[in-house]
Amino acid sequence: MKRALGFMAVTLAMCVSALAQDTITLGASVQETGALANTGRYYRDSYNFAVERINERGGVKVGGKTYTLGLKILDNQSDSNLSVRQYVQLLTQDKVNFLLGPFASDFALADSSVAEKYQVPMIQGGGASDQIFNRGYKYIFGTLPVASKYFESTIAMMGKLKPAPKSVALLYADDAFDVSVANGTRELIQKAGLKLVLDQRYSSNTSDFSTLISQLKSGNPDVILVSGHETEALNFVRQAKSLNLNPLMYSFTVGVPTADFRKALGKDSNYAFGMTPWVISSANKDAYFGNAEDFAKAYKARFGYDPDYHSASAVADVEAFVKAIEVAGTLEPTKVRDAISQVNFPSLYGTIAFNASGQISLPQTVIQVQNDQVKAIYSQSGMLAAPQYPMPHWDKR
Amino acid sequence: MQLLAQVLVNGVLLGGLYALMALGLALVWGVLNIVNLAHGALIMLGAYVGYYLFTLLDVDPFIALPIAMVVLFCVGYLLQAGILNLIARAAMFNTLLITFGIDVVLTQLAQMLFSADYRTINPGYAGANFMLFGITLPWVRVLAFAVALLLTLAMWLFLLHTRLGRGIRATAQNLGAARLYGVSPKRIYALTFGIGAALAGGAGDLYGVVSQINPYIGATLTAKSFAIAIIGGLESPLGVVVGGIFLGIVESLTALYIGPTFVDVASFGILVLVLIFRPNGLLGSTT
Repeated sequence: MKRALGFMAVTLAMCVSALAQDTITLGASVQETGALANTGRYYRDSYNFAVERINERGGVKVGGKTYTLGLKILDNQSDSNLSVRQYVQLLTQDKVNFLLGPFASDFALADSSVAEKYQVPMIQGGGASDQIFNRGYKYIFGTLPVASKYFESTIAMMGKLKPAPKSVALLYADDAFDVSVANGTRELIQKAGLKLVLDQRYSSNTSDFSTLISQLKSGNPDVILVSGHETEALNFVRQAKSLNLNPLMYSFTVGVPTADFRKALGKDSNYAFGMTPWVISSANKDAYFGNAEDFAKAYKARFGYDPDYHSASAVADVEAFVKAIEVAGTLEPTKVRDAISQVNFPSLYGTIAFNASGQISLPQTVIQVQNDQVKAIYSQSGMLAAPQYPMPHWDKR
Repeated sequence: MQLLAQVLVNGVLLGGLYALMALGLALVWGVLNIVNLAHGALIMLGAYVGYYLFTLLDVDPFIALPIAMVVLFCVGYLLQAGILNLIARAAMFNTLLITFGIDVVLTQLAQMLFSADYRTINPGYAGANFMLFGITLPWVRVLAFAVALLLTLAMWLFLLHTRLGRGIRATAQNLGAARLYGVSPKRIYALTFGIGAALAGGAGDLYGVVSQINPYIGATLTAKSFAIAIIGGLESPLGVVVGGIFLGIVESLTALYIGPTFVDVASFGILVLVLIFRPNGLLGSTT
């Protein structure tokens, strides 16, 4: 009996170590609950989806040996302090091999320091602030476009509109991402020779915009650019309607591409401009999902809601790890880090390659809600569809 | 001048909604000595009642208002009778802990049941407005303001002139004497908490018409209600209305003249000043 037990224990131990050996685990702390849960779910679901699909297609081949991809996700409850502790836990207790990112710049900014300290690469698709990448860190890579250039394509498009807008108001929330956006946008506005009539920072989570909107009405800018969160974009549009604010156009950094935005606002979401680095098109081929269109369909069928660029960016992060690990031929974090800096492959999200500071270079496509549908309007190559401009006054809709 | 007038009007209208939010919190605090940290979560639940009535059954939010109040009254009554009566008259710290716990539970339940999607109660007239002396007045905010004032007045009359209202006030003032006169404190507590929750429910329904709702809006609304209850004082519903409107104006003027990032600094700064100079609230007695 004793011998049998001993035998069993040894077999079990062998199994466990064999399992441990054959799995490459990616770790992430994601907002599954809390104020950012709405966007956090894109990352949780996309990481899971990508890992599953990669395992179905044969896993990861490292130096002639096949590994399964594992995933360990912790819920940071939308608390960035907890998120930092969880990344330390992922590396020290859970012994994950590599790190995927959280959502939002504030989180990525803090969490990337953990990656840097432990010298384990993190590829994140949730933080775009320039601050994340200009600290000389070597272990952080990002798949969202640079925050300071979010409005670049929008302002380029404005130059082609008739009547040409002359004055701009810039509103932005007071967090890492939105401050980076505002700093970049201010320069772009100046370069384009536009007049900046109102340049106002507001607190994140502001729910009442009535004062700002009254100021906008009296300053009367042609264009209003808002860099904030989706909740703020929703409140802004609702209150703009109730206070009868009628600029020629307005554009928001986030919110517009999501199905949520259109569902919450209904008809009032029409004419709103926004941006996305990811256009769902069959031209974006992918080794695991076919192409972006196939991915969007499979994703909707699997999770019951439409993916947006957050999902695509998250999938690209997982794929970038697989590519880099296979090229590096080892699980040595520093070697994998060097391989990540050299990747260059097509994915459903676009071409994945990182510049010296670790960030991807992807242009934003300008989009607009037209008749309850998101339409791609303008990209670097020029106008893709006719913009509905100027937007009609609220009382004439 | 035009801008200042518009901003002042915005502030007053915002303040009306604030007052309605804070009314329930102030009542429960004054009578039960419970600072209900789950108050914002109850407002959130009220907003979801309004949202589902509107989207699923096409019930106008102003008709949904009394329904939301009744639903939330039941929730509040059950919470008090089932949980909070266990710690009635306990130390303040215990009540803070338990209401904080209720807040977490309600919020997580809301995320599980309703998902974290952003919602709005968006009837056709939600953005309608009219002009008066060159000032734009959004209909919904004006109506919400009127409802807030009406409910406050109703509360005031109820507390002054009905048997139950007198019972509630008696319990708040002198528990021993109230008992001698045949008041059953447990029932009074449950009713009071139910009324507080009903007011939160009504406020939530209106909040959903002017703003977006998600399971996590509660925390900031609790903080705001708390500040208004202190500024206005706990002695009468009229104090809460004055506190709400005062805060609405202060926030709007701060956003205009100092900057929107300083709104919370201003409102909580005033909270501190009120606590120092008029600890019983703006309308409270100075003794």
